[in-house]
Amino acid sequence: MAESTTFTNATQILEPFRGVKKVTLEEYFTSGHRTCQGCESALVMKLMVKAAGPRTIVLGSTGCMYVANTTYYTTPWVVPWMHTQLGSSGSAALGTAAGLKALMRKGKMKAEPINVIAFCGDGGGADMGVGAISATLTHKEYNSLILLYDNESYANTDIQLSGMTPYGAHTTFSPPGKAKRIIHTRWKKNMAGMMAAGHPECRYVATVCASYAVEMMNKVRRALTIGGPTFIHSLDPCPKGWDYDPMLSHELGELAIETGIFPLYEVEDHQVRYYGKTKAIVEGRERKPVREYLLKQGRFAHFTEEDLEYFQKKVDEMWEKWEIPAVVPFRRLEATKAALEVK
Amino acid sequence: MAVATRPAPAAAEDKELLISGSEAVAEALTLADIDVVTAYPIRPYDTVMQAIAKKIANGQLVAEYIVAEGEHSQFEIVKHASTVGARVFCGSSGVGWAYAMECLVVTPPLRVPMIALVGNRALDDPGAFGVEHNDALFVRDLGWLLCWIDTSQEALDTTLIAYRVAEDRRVFLPLAISADGAFLTHSQALTMVPPKSKVDRYLPRYDRGDLLLHPDNPITVAPQANEDWVIEIRRQNNEAMARASTVIEEAYAEFRRVFGRGPENPWFEEYMTDDAEVILVGMGTISLPIKVAIREMRAKGKKVGLVRLRWFRPFPTDRLVAALSRAQALGVIDRDYSFGSPFGSGVVANEIRAALYNAARRPPLLSFICGLGGREVTLEDVYKATDMCYGAAKAGKSDPKTHWLGVRE
Amino acid sequence: MAALICEIVYRGIFQKNLASRIARGIVLSARKSGRWGIAFGRYGDSPQRNGIPAKDFAIVADTNEELEQNMARYEPKHVDVTICVDDTLAKGVESWAWYGLQPINRLTVPNGTVLMTSIQSFGELLKDIHRKDAPYKLALMRAKASFSGLWVYREDHTEVRILGALAKIAPAFLSLDGVSQAIAEMDWGSDLKVASARKAYERLETREVTMAEGNPEIPYSFEMPKWWEMREGVTIPAIPIGKPKEEGKGYVPERNPYFKKYTTRTMRPVVNFDTCVKCTLCWIQCPDSCFDVMPDGTYDANMEACCGCGVCEAVCPVENCITMVNESVFEDNASQWEMWRKDKPAYQVWLTNKIGDKQATVRSHGFRFRGQYEQELKTDLDSGGVEITAGIPGENAQHKTV
Repeated sequence: MAESTTFTNATQILEPFRGVKKVTLEEYFTSGHRTCQGCESALVMKLMVKAAGPRTIVLGSTGCMYVANTTYYTTPWVVPWMHTQLGSSGSAALGTAAGLKALMRKGKMKAEPINVIAFCGDGGGADMGVGAISATLTHKEYNSLILLYDNESYANTDIQLSGMTPYGAHTTFSPPGKAKRIIHTRWKKNMAGMMAAGHPECRYVATVCASYAVEMMNKVRRALTIGGPTFIHSLDPCPKGWDYDPMLSHELGELAIETGIFPLYEVEDHQVRYYGKTKAIVEGRERKPVREYLLKQGRFAHFTEEDLEYFQKKVDEMWEKWEIPAVVPFRRLEATKAALEVK
Repeated sequence: MAVATRPAPAAAEDKELLISGSEAVAEALTLADIDVVTAYPIRPYDTVMQAIAKKIANGQLVAEYIVAEGEHSQFEIVKHASTVGARVFCGSSGVGWAYAMECLVVTPPLRVPMIALVGNRALDDPGAFGVEHNDALFVRDLGWLLCWIDTSQEALDTTLIAYRVAEDRRVFLPLAISADGAFLTHSQALTMVPPKSKVDRYLPRYDRGDLLLHPDNPITVAPQANEDWVIEIRRQNNEAMARASTVIEEAYAEFRRVFGRGPENPWFEEYMTDDAEVILVGMGTISLPIKVAIREMRAKGKKVGLVRLRWFRPFPTDRLVAALSRAQALGVIDRDYSFGSPFGSGVVANEIRAALYNAARRPPLLSFICGLGGREVTLEDVYKATDMCYGAAKAGKSDPKTHWLGVRE
Repeated sequence: MAALICEIVYRGIFQKNLASRIARGIVLSARKSGRWGIAFGRYGDSPQRNGIPAKDFAIVADTNEELEQNMARYEPKHVDVTICVDDTLAKGVESWAWYGLQPINRLTVPNGTVLMTSIQSFGELLKDIHRKDAPYKLALMRAKASFSGLWVYREDHTEVRILGALAKIAPAFLSLDGVSQAIAEMDWGSDLKVASARKAYERLETREVTMAEGNPEIPYSFEMPKWWEMREGVTIPAIPIGKPKEEGKGYVPERNPYFKKYTTRTMRPVVNFDTCVKCTLCWIQCPDSCFDVMPDGTYDANMEACCGCGVCEAVCPVENCITMVNESVFEDNASQWEMWRKDKPAYQVWLTNKIGDKQATVRSHGFRFRGQYEQELKTDLDSGGVEITAGIPGENAQHKTV
């Protein structure tokens, strides 16, 4: 019953791609899926697994990237892929990693680092599956990456609002009407911040946007290299649910960053590092007004000036009032600060 | 599969231990060298997880032991571990099993041979710990293999048999072993534990073959399917369940060869049925008061027998009909309910009614619901049921209405 | 004929609301003359995807019993009128959950009608529409395809013009007065819209199509395996890894063999290989992995895989290097790079011709900014709500967003 000596808990060492010309040519998520024209989440899948390479197992929870990608008898996946239930990305990652680990340490399977990536949408990840993801991020002995592709609604089922839908957006569960213009009055969850703050032994959390493809892939590579449970939150413009010309997917991704609505950062061993255009904002570049982003999308077409101002004010708060701007919303009391300084 | 094995060496190699049903299962899991197990607390099943934890802590078993954050994850984790080739174990009770329901539903079409222990427990509300079979019965239509055990010995033996059946490539279906809460999970009995060498001869390694999720076998598992495909997938599942009957027969025969014990008839235990005028039918530990009552009644000249069903899925229709149709009357005692069902009967009674429908001889059948929520099934309950069966035998027909026994009225 | 069965073939999401208005309009118009009816979308097309073909149906009948008779199946097997609101679907329909290509006229009954919005000629369209083993009528309503998204509707009168045209095609079920009355009662109706419907009635162009006419190509179909032929455990083989284009250079991915994107796009990228700076952006940003890497480091959009989103044009830093052009001006799915390699001057002529076609490069793929639709339509509505052909011209990305 002794543990086999062949087992190591090693990860694949995936060096960052140094520039777009160095990106691997091979596709591990290829054509023939049935996503919308201009689907940014499909791009995320492609880049995610391009970054991970061939020795990878991907688990996908229910959502667009399940239903539209893999319609029975067809698949776009080159690497092994398996469905998991809507709220189960955390459990799928954990179970797969634990199975591989058990078999390798007992000498029942050739020992080698195999990447395990489970993805979830904002509904599956930030609503239903948040508990399972949270649990997985505490299991430091299993290497897995959970990638949340956030297109800000249950886009597969008919565009219903999720806990990640922005304030005021038009969805089939929040249609602007004659008596009520804004049905959805909740502010979006801060998933990456929550995951980073709440799991002291999770060594890597990042936010990404596929409009910045190489950086996005390098975050995936970093997460897989560091090992243990890791989490990446990707913001994915969705032409169907956000209502815009599919050609604009890339541009809207950029605008989400440039307006400061979605910050790009990574938290590695508790160090917060902003990157890309978010870094420029932290270093003083002016944020673009949120209206430049919002008014390009049909889901905000009903917004009045008052709504735009409210939205702007909430984004300003993220940057001006949060203890760690756009990452952690706590604010220390002045008295606490003073007391800590004395100490 | 039908692996040829050498004849059993002397049973002297077995060790006798005083252990509970849950501990007996843990012994079997250690012998089977399971790879991944997930735990979550709910009584009474979780005594098995406590026993496994000790096995791991003491170095008797090497396995990934994961404490999940709920039953949904608990079952989903082992499902995924099984797809990469790990031998897995899981379990739950009552509403915990209900909480995992989504993950229970998906395992048969995925053909995941997960073994689960269901420590039968009444469903909420009210929160109750005692036995009822409704929890395990949730999955009766879904492609789970379902069996009920009665003793610690049977718990150990059935666990080994379960892996052999479920992991057979012809089957590849999940299997739930049901054990009555408290009666079996918490009481300790003398149990023979075989040596590892015998188990290794009996139980082949789990080989997921072309369904293995691994970079060396790139497949896509469970893509979303529309109406063009689903009925074909269900048809495949139906076939796997049908094949399971043969595999179960083989697995018990092989068990007897290797271990030198175990029943001739895998499907159900027959107690004093040879000359029985009235046969009582039940599942699980209810057999104990029934057997005692039968002995008492036989002393008074009443020829009563018992059929204790071990396997509920696949349902042993033909063998059961053959065994039951010779009686003059049948009394089915359900430790479950099925509100609004035909005649308001329990699940087992109505299954047996359906099985008998085409039988050449159909004895009158009386349906009883008894012992819900862990209420004691008394000898008086059994006498009362038997008397009513004799009444039906005499009349040559039965009132289909269901009788509740042991209820304050 | 005691029942009228219509299908509306449209682009998923872009025309979802339009198709629903048409289907409802048919039933409510026929109701004006006491008919019974039902309007429904094909469940198998749900959840819809932007651009992927979808279908709605409208059935009207003299009595409720006749209606039921036509409803007692998953979807109609024959239709009297096929309404197609995007003429690039003339090339065929590969719907969301369909393996293979359905000709646009597949369900149209002999001597039935295919009613299409188009600014192409009959001859041009019949190059695309597959041959049918029975004669039928092709009726054209002159207009560009009307695209919008889910939340903001493009009020360009397409739905009422279709209803007006249908009154001409099936007067026994939809009288022009009934249509006008129904439109006026809709919460989106208006006098101007009634006028548009009446003009469409007058201006509908119809032509008989014989069995000898049309695209002779046999469309790709798919045979369903039996239950015991399917792999167990709901598993299918993965796609193999791709290979270099030639002589160890470049890269062509393997692709899903059962679902091609030939009919999911309404526009396709035309690439100027001579001005390409090999920046990789089109290749890396394409959600459909449609760009094959050529041995010389340029990228060739593979028409098997391109769904026509236009992201490549949007990210391309070189002016006019990638231009989205309407699908209707292409006759095949051949490789542009091979064409270019074979004869560069000839390719330049072909390219200039394609990207210089102002009508074919007009882009209409839904919402870009608030007030856009009103801006595009204003002049036309002032002049009486007739042919609306506006869109945003498709030069380079930076010019496209206002």
